[in-house]
Amino acid sequence: MAKMVNLIINGKKIKATAGSTVLEAAQKEGIYIPTLCHHNALDPEGTCRLCIAEFSGSIRDSVRISCIQEVKEGLIVETETKRINKSRRLILELFLGRAPEATAVINLAAKYGVTKSRFMTGESNDCILCGRCVRVCRDKIGVHALCFINRGPARKITTDFERLSEYCIGCGACAHVCPTGAIKVEDKGDQRKIFTWEQVTARFTLERCEHCHKPFAPKRYLELINKKAYNPKGLELVDYICPECFKKHDRVSDKRREGALRKAVNKWSVPR
Amino acid sequence: MDLKAVNEILSQFPEERGNLIGILHEVQNYFSYLPEAELRYISKKIDIPITQIYSVANFYNRFSLAPKGNNQICVCMGTACHVKGSEKIMNELQEKLQIQKGETTEDLLFSLDEVRCIGACGLAPAVVVNEDTHGLVKPKMVGKILSKYKP
Repeated sequence: MAKMVNLIINGKKIKATAGSTVLEAAQKEGIYIPTLCHHNALDPEGTCRLCIAEFSGSIRDSVRISCIQEVKEGLIVETETKRINKSRRLILELFLGRAPEATAVINLAAKYGVTKSRFMTGESNDCILCGRCVRVCRDKIGVHALCFINRGPARKITTDFERLSEYCIGCGACAHVCPTGAIKVEDKGDQRKIFTWEQVTARFTLERCEHCHKPFAPKRYLELINKKAYNPKGLELVDYICPECFKKHDRVSDKRREGALRKAVNKWSVPR
Repeated sequence: MDLKAVNEILSQFPEERGNLIGILHEVQNYFSYLPEAELRYISKKIDIPITQIYSVANFYNRFSLAPKGNNQICVCMGTACHVKGSEKIMNELQEKLQIQKGETTEDLLFSLDEVRCIGACGLAPAVVVNEDTHGLVKPKMVGKILSKYKP
């Protein structure tokens, strides 16, 4: 069994698995800590700084971010002190200055009583540079289509040489994890477009489902699934079936349907 | 694409991911900028995603993705130089070369950049052209300095 450590968050005694972060431990206990850059599926990077908390006990008294700080025996954490909320309001104000139209930012800021920002840039960019899209593309999908460029105020997320990406497979994971909806995926007919606020990053033609003949996924995405999920098991993806049809065939117990399913599944995963 | 030169640069470095910046330095020195085709080739060779290389190339001031002039003029904009009127020197250079800061002349002879303190505050205002430092520069002297580097 994993080693457990004892810590106190907001006066509540908690046992957490060693190696997990304070944010994870708090979320498990139902203690709310605001965050925009943390995503359960991704490694933490600590870019949004909203999950700050006051730490004391077994480490030096300090304000740290809880999504990167590991749990430690005897740690005392306070997440909603006056000092923390003051800093948090400032961070939210800065976010609001950058992205005054992003719903996630507006809602979170309103929660902390921030409705106006002293830092309006005159522009509106929904991207808050949390880097979730870069992380999912790099660490989970593994195609490295997105990157940060420049420094300071000019920092932004884009593709290589700021053109249509030749590495993007059109999976849409970046849009899925984006907290503010700055990256969007748009399917029109059999065309998929992935775009950020200023730039179209990729365009794809969608493959049609063998059963319902609806376009559903780009070819390069299916090829990657084939390579990552099926080939290691000695299987080959032959026919393309959309998730809905796959589920539908899975649920209905009609014999004829079952036959179709078996056939479909066999077709889906023919041994090499 | 100058494959021979790139391969030669790559051969100087052991095949480790940590050498990216060293490689980029050499490429920058050789081409006076980082050409896209070469970067894509290096990406394949040392197995670092092109997006990561592009990120690094964009991050550091030392690297440029657009061709630079044969003579690089850096005007110091540090505190001391600023007080001593480096702004005027910059304006004079921009007028003489007919380019804005950060740009390169059409004949690829000069490129003009501003830099933060170069540590020559005693010589303020200072202008560095290639490896030469010109100190106590007055707007009048700009023409004379430039003519030194014209063929």
